[in-house]
Amino acid sequence: MVHINEDSYVNWIEQLCLSTWESVYRLIYFKVQNREEAEDITQETYVRAIPYLQKNRVPPDKQMAFLKTVALNIIRDRWRQHQRRGTTADLEAIAPKEVASEDPAEWSVQRIAIEKALNQLSKEQRTVIELRIIKGYSVAETARIMNKKETTIRVMQHRALQALNRILHDETK
Amino acid sequence: MHDNERRLSDYIDQLNAEKKPKEHEHSAADPELQELFHTVRLVRSLREPAMPERNFPAKLVRTVTDQLVPTKPKKKKRAWMASIVGIAAVLALSLLMHIVSLFDQPNIVKAMEKAFQDVNAYHGFLEIVETNAQGKTTTQAKLEIWADKQGRYYIQELEGSNKGLITVNNGQTKWQIHHSEKQVHRFSAFPDPYRFAFELGNEIKEIKQAVSTKTIGEEKAANRPSWVVEVTPQGGEPYRIWIDKETHLPLQKQYAMHHGIQYKITYTKIEWNDAIPEKLLAYHVPKGFQEINQNPEQIVANIGEVNEIIGFLPDVINQIPAGYVQDRIAIVPDKKLVKIYYRASNKEIVIIQGKATGKWKLAPNAMVGKIHQQTAEIQSPVVEEAGVLGAGGSYAGLTDLHSIRWRQNGFEYAVIGHADLEDLVAFTKELTNGAFEMPAKEEPSSSKPKVNVPVDLEQEKNDQKSVDAGSSPWKLDPVFVAQVFVSLQMSPEGITGDYPIRYEDLRIVQNNGKEAVVEVNADNAPIKRVYLKRLIRQDATGIWTVVGYDPAS
Repeated sequence: MVHINEDSYVNWIEQLCLSTWESVYRLIYFKVQNREEAEDITQETYVRAIPYLQKNRVPPDKQMAFLKTVALNIIRDRWRQHQRRGTTADLEAIAPKEVASEDPAEWSVQRIAIEKALNQLSKEQRTVIELRIIKGYSVAETARIMNKKETTIRVMQHRALQALNRILHDETK
Repeated sequence: MHDNERRLSDYIDQLNAEKKPKEHEHSAADPELQELFHTVRLVRSLREPAMPERNFPAKLVRTVTDQLVPTKPKKKKRAWMASIVGIAAVLALSLLMHIVSLFDQPNIVKAMEKAFQDVNAYHGFLEIVETNAQGKTTTQAKLEIWADKQGRYYIQELEGSNKGLITVNNGQTKWQIHHSEKQVHRFSAFPDPYRFAFELGNEIKEIKQAVSTKTIGEEKAANRPSWVVEVTPQGGEPYRIWIDKETHLPLQKQYAMHHGIQYKITYTKIEWNDAIPEKLLAYHVPKGFQEINQNPEQIVANIGEVNEIIGFLPDVINQIPAGYVQDRIAIVPDKKLVKIYYRASNKEIVIIQGKATGKWKLAPNAMVGKIHQQTAEIQSPVVEEAGVLGAGGSYAGLTDLHSIRWRQNGFEYAVIGHADLEDLVAFTKELTNGAFEMPAKEEPSSSKPKVNVPVDLEQEKNDQKSVDAGSSPWKLDPVFVAQVFVSLQMSPEGITGDYPIRYEDLRIVQNNGKEAVVEVNADNAPIKRVYLKRLIRQDATGIWTVVGYDPAS
C-alpha cells in the first residue's frame, strides 16, 4: 500500500479527474448515447478506478487506458446485470499493461460502416432516421416536416431500423 | 408489433432528451427490440456527444473526493479538540462552515433570489470608487437610485461628471433632465441602452448564470456585516460581491483590476419600498426648460390608425404567449414601421414590421433558423442592427437583448426583447403559424467537411483569453474568421493590403451557435465552404475556429 498524505491524495485525484474526464466521458457517451447515464458512469469509473490506480502506482501513461477499460467494464457489467443480476467487474483482473485502448480509428471505421448502411436505405427511411435520431426531432416535428401522420412515422422508423440492422449484420458476416 | 413501435419511439425520445432510458435499467425482454435499440445507439454515435454542464468536472472531483476521502473534515476536528479553547473554536468554526456552506452555490443564489422575490422596489445611494495600481482611491460618482422590478427607474447623479443629471424610465417613455442646459431629452422607453451599475435584479441574474461562486470570508460593507463571495462569470474575470448577512441581498461589488484600475460600487444606504413615488415617474418639463424629443415613435390607438398613417395593416398574433399582455402600438412614420409592444413581469417584447426593402442579408454572427425554407436570423444577444432592427432603435451591445428577424410575403419582421429566447420563439411561431424552426442543436452528418483542419486547443484557449481581454474581436465573427482563413490559403506568405476575397463574398449558410458553415462565392477562391466551431465557449463571447473546408474543385 502506498501511503501519501491526504492533501496530496486529494490534489492527485483532482489532477487526474481534470486531465482525463473528457476522454473518459466521450467513450462512455459513445456507448450509452445519453448524457445522464454518461455522467453517472463517468463518476463511478473514477470512484472504482482511483483506489486501484493509487494502490498499484499505475504509471501516468497507462492511467487513461486503465480508466477507459474500467468504464467499459462498468457498462458491460450494467448490461449483464440487466439480464442476470449479481456479476461485478473484477478490477484486479485488469492488467494495466494490457488494457485495451478504445481506438478513435475504430470509431471512424464504425462510422463509415453506419454511413454506408444508411445510404442503402430508401430515401424516406434515411430521412426519418436522420430527422428522428441524428437531428433529434420529435415524432410530431418529423411528421410535420415529412407531411405524414405521427403513427406512420413510428411505423417507418421501426421498419427503417429493422432494415438498417439487417444491412449492418450482413456487412459483418 | 404495435407495442414495439411505440417502445422504440419512446427509447429514441429518451436518448434525444439526453436521459437514461428505462430499458437501460430493466432489460427489454424482446431480443429483436434490444437489437434495434443497439442500432439506434449506433446511428446516434454519428452525432457529436452532448457534453455535460460546465461545472461537471468540478462536480466530478467533489463527488469522487467525497467518496474516497471521507476522513478529511474529521482530521481537522481532531486537531482542534486538543483543548477546551479548541472545542469552542471547533464549534465556532463548524457553525461558520455551516453558514458559509449555506451560501455556496447553488444556495447562495437561491437565498438571494428568495430575498429579492420579496422586494418590489428599492431606494438607495450608490457610490462608485476607483482605485489605481498605486492604491490611490477616487470617488467617481454618487447616485441616488429608485428602481422597481418592472424595470422602471429614477436616477439622479449627485456627484460626478454629470452632476445634476436625472434619468427616468417609467415604462412608457424615458427622459433625461439636463439642469445645466435647461433641457429635457425624451427617448423611446424600449429598448433602453441605459443601465445603472449594480441594478440588483441584473446582479442576481448574473450570479445565477456564473460559472462558480465561492464564499471567501466575511467583512463589513457600508457598515453592515456581510459575506464576501467570489463570482466567476461566464466570460470575464472573477469579481467579488458583498452580501448583507441580514437581508441576503448584494451590497457591494468589486471588479478585478483591469489595466491598472479597479472599481468598487457600494450601496452606502439602501431601503426597500412598495413602489417608486408616482411624482418621480410622472413625465414633466420643468418650467423654463426646453423639450427635445428624440423619440421617433408615435403612439397610435389601434391597428386601424396604423393603416391610415403608414399604408398597411400589420399582422397581429392571435394567441399572445402565456404571461404577456399587449402594452401599446407605435409607429415610426418616417421609416414606415409598426411596433407592437408586449409586456410581462420584468420582460418586454416588441414585434417590428415593415415592408421588405433591399437585399436580405443575415447578421454575420447570427444563428440561422428557418421559416418555409427561408432563413431567419437569430441574434442572442443582438450584435448588429440589420434591416427593420436598425430602423427600430439602437440595440447593439445590450447583452440581455435578443432578436429573431425574417421575411415573409413581402414584409420584414423582427421580434426583439429583454426576455428569454424561448419567449421570442413563442411569439415568432405565433406570427409564422408554427413555421419557424430553430437551428438543430447538432448539425446533420451531411455537414462534414471534406478536408479537416487540425486544431491546437491550447492555442485556442489562449486566443479566447486574449479576446476576453479585448484583443482580436474579429474572432467572434465566423464570417471574418472564414475570410482570414481562405485568404491565408490563397496567400500563405501573409496578407498585405486588401484581402484577396471580399467579406461580402462570404455568406453564413448554417449557424446553430456552436457550429457554423460559411459559403464562399468568389471565382478565384480555392475553397467553397468553411466549417467553424466554437470550441472553447459556446455563447456569444466564444471565439470561432476553422475545423474544416470543402475545396472548390
